Amino acid sequence: MLNYALKRLGLAVVIVSLAMLMLFCMIYLIPGDPASVALGPRATEAMREALRIKMGLDQPVWMQFWNFYIGAWSGDLGKEVLSSRPVLTVVLEQLPFTLALIAGGISWSVALGIPLGCWAAVKRGSLADRVVGILSVAVIAVPSFVIAIYALLIFAVALRWLPAIGAGEPGNPGDQILHLILPSLAVGLGWVGYIARMVRASMLEVLEASHIRTARAFGLPERQITYRYALSIAILPTVTLLGVGIGQMLSSAVFAEIVFARPGVGKLVYDAILTRNFPVVTGAVLVTTVLFVLLNLIADLIVGALDPRVRSSF
Amino acid sequence: MTKPRNSGPTRRNVLAGAGAFGAASLAFPHISFSQDGKVVTVRSYSDLQVLDPAFRVSLPEDDIIRSIFAPMVVPVSGDVWDWKPIAVESIEQLDDLTISFKLRDNIGFTDGYGQMTAEDVKFSIERIADPANESPYAGDWSALKEVEVKDTLSGLIHLKNKFVPLWSTTLPTPASCILSKKAVEELGGKFTTETVAQSGQYLMAEWVPKQKTVLKRNPDWAHEPGGFDEIHIIPIEDPATAELGFEAGDLDYTWTAVSSLPRLKENPPAGSVVLEKPSLAYVWLGMNQDNETLKDVRIRRAIQHAIDRETVVDAAYFGAAAVANGIIAPGLPGNRDSVTYDYDPDKARALLEEAGATNLNVTLDILNQSERLTAAQVIQANLADVGVTCEIKQNDSGTFWTLGSKDGDYFMQLQLILGRYSMQPDPSWATVWFTPEQIGVWNWERFDSQEYKDLHEQGLVESDPAKRDEIYKKMQGLMDESGCYVFLTHEVVGAIHNDTIEPGLKPNGESLLADFKPA
Repeated sequence: MLNYALKRLGLAVVIVSLAMLMLFCMIYLIPGDPASVALGPRATEAMREALRIKMGLDQPVWMQFWNFYIGAWSGDLGKEVLSSRPVLTVVLEQLPFTLALIAGGISWSVALGIPLGCWAAVKRGSLADRVVGILSVAVIAVPSFVIAIYALLIFAVALRWLPAIGAGEPGNPGDQILHLILPSLAVGLGWVGYIARMVRASMLEVLEASHIRTARAFGLPERQITYRYALSIAILPTVTLLGVGIGQMLSSAVFAEIVFARPGVGKLVYDAILTRNFPVVTGAVLVTTVLFVLLNLIADLIVGALDPRVRSSF
Repeated sequence: MTKPRNSGPTRRNVLAGAGAFGAASLAFPHISFSQDGKVVTVRSYSDLQVLDPAFRVSLPEDDIIRSIFAPMVVPVSGDVWDWKPIAVESIEQLDDLTISFKLRDNIGFTDGYGQMTAEDVKFSIERIADPANESPYAGDWSALKEVEVKDTLSGLIHLKNKFVPLWSTTLPTPASCILSKKAVEELGGKFTTETVAQSGQYLMAEWVPKQKTVLKRNPDWAHEPGGFDEIHIIPIEDPATAELGFEAGDLDYTWTAVSSLPRLKENPPAGSVVLEKPSLAYVWLGMNQDNETLKDVRIRRAIQHAIDRETVVDAAYFGAAAVANGIIAPGLPGNRDSVTYDYDPDKARALLEEAGATNLNVTLDILNQSERLTAAQVIQANLADVGVTCEIKQNDSGTFWTLGSKDGDYFMQLQLILGRYSMQPDPSWATVWFTPEQIGVWNWERFDSQEYKDLHEQGLVESDPAKRDEIYKKMQGLMDESGCYVFLTHEVVGAIHNDTIEPGLKPNGESLLADFKPA
């Protein structure tokens, strides 16, 4: 197991390094002068040049990358262009909002997707099964920003049940949860469909398995068989799917953060790209990449611990 | 089979909890804090980045800076450009080169930095003007010779040369905000978001990055108090989101998109007031005269005649904005009521034929905003009508604002550009960007006229409004003649607010937070 864990950890380091290289190349390929954008029309050429030097843009690209790479591994992601605040501080200020949004999205998708998928499997071939199937495809097909805008128009503007913008008063968890409901619904609703489909398919497979037939032969109640013995196995692929889903939810979070004017890493990166605030772009994307790789690493280690076949095949 | 002991929450518990949470969330109406006259919640289009008046970045920062660091004077809210004293008891122009001032005797800095003195005025102004400090706002005080301290509260501002815009675009801006010399020196000469030694009508109580800035009324301010106990400033970049936030009751005041104005005016949300203010900004179609395709002035003049400006503006701004005849907005010296070219497709075709420009292909670079895209599409159709094929190229802001820069590699390929600049309430702020020195900086049309430059310099020292009017009109005439410009609009500024508040706004709709009051 230790050997397996070390190999997975090594792979994670390689993935993060490659992601950093790709990110760095992409950023430096896009046109636009960060110094001009940051300083505005009234800056003189001397001021722009001074800022370019401060940002290290006068150095060869490979050296800029090397400095960034070495700094990143020691936790120094540079400083924000104008305010000179450490990028890591800026990103970590925003990260909890994005994590809360994703956690909210996962909560919606699990709370709705698993019961719906389970119900559809149990009612296989019935009208209920077909309705769940159609609804699942429908919510998968609708982009999250469309859900975001309609949720906002209905629940915030027309009904005024929920707040439209912001993340709630700092230090007031109730207010923060209220502010989280609509954005997390927008992020998570599409995944309700994915999870319902996945749970239904897994359940149908598991319900045909021999241990379920045995349980039935023992005369256990159908409800107990379905939810205790079938669902506990059928849900495992869903956990893996959610691991991948976090990455996609991160990109959906950008739209939700813009539409609901919420703070968060997605909005931070979006604003930073527009203003060519390169240190913030690289820092924020690096932190989210590390987070994503870390979550997948943990998922892999858990699966490896549970299933010896996975360990031996690596 | 024995039933295992359930140590965690059961499915029933979870479902019941989720149901209760859902019901509770629906039962709580959304609470707006802004209706009681104590707190007002307003939107700004960007978050705070720099509080130092010498290095401020955006307009929303100007408003915060002016509220927390007392300026010598501020613009007055209303429909006429004027100013009123804040930190000064008196300020007057003694002659072309001398301004005297006397501070109020009871303005202090927070955090134990003592009384505001004339020495602080000298420090605050001279640090902006000093080239060594590399303030982007050094130009505001370019005419400054020195500030002479007469006594604790009085002093003289000495100018090197006469500078007419001083009273319209230097003093009533954060360039006249007074900082504590001692505090800034302790911070190393400049600062970003530190809030030591505040002195204004409001104090910055809280800044939560990307969430909000909270200003609280300064309890030690002995003069006209701010209208609210607290001002909450929420950064929302997207105007559509801000409008929805207003309609949902989360905001008391916001700017709106121009395209939303007709809808909001026709059907305003209950309890709201929709405002439309003339903007100082100017939008134009520019042509790069050094580009190989557009070198012949007859081709540029043909394009001027090919554009139906009224249709372009109507389509892009949903009928809310009027056509402009230059770069200087109504109400300022130099505003014109006509241009020297009219919409005449036949004349455009004739000029193109005369120049031998058949099957002309051009590229129009625009910023990726809906109004610009609509305007560009009408321009594209207008040009197609006279036989010119126009390709529209959309750019994000980071790319767009460097297209014409001489440091880049695109400035000579640049052909048509849809430009928009904002300005201060003095015509020199419009004309300054098109002088020969600005070629490859902000003069992307590469319009090169010594006469224009000479007139610009005359305008800076001419105090007779009639003569200034003549100078700036002549300058715009030269721009017409060059064929490099098709003037489109000054746009309008839309805003919406609750009828429980009375926003303080400059004549162009920009907010003056310290002047917001309960209705």
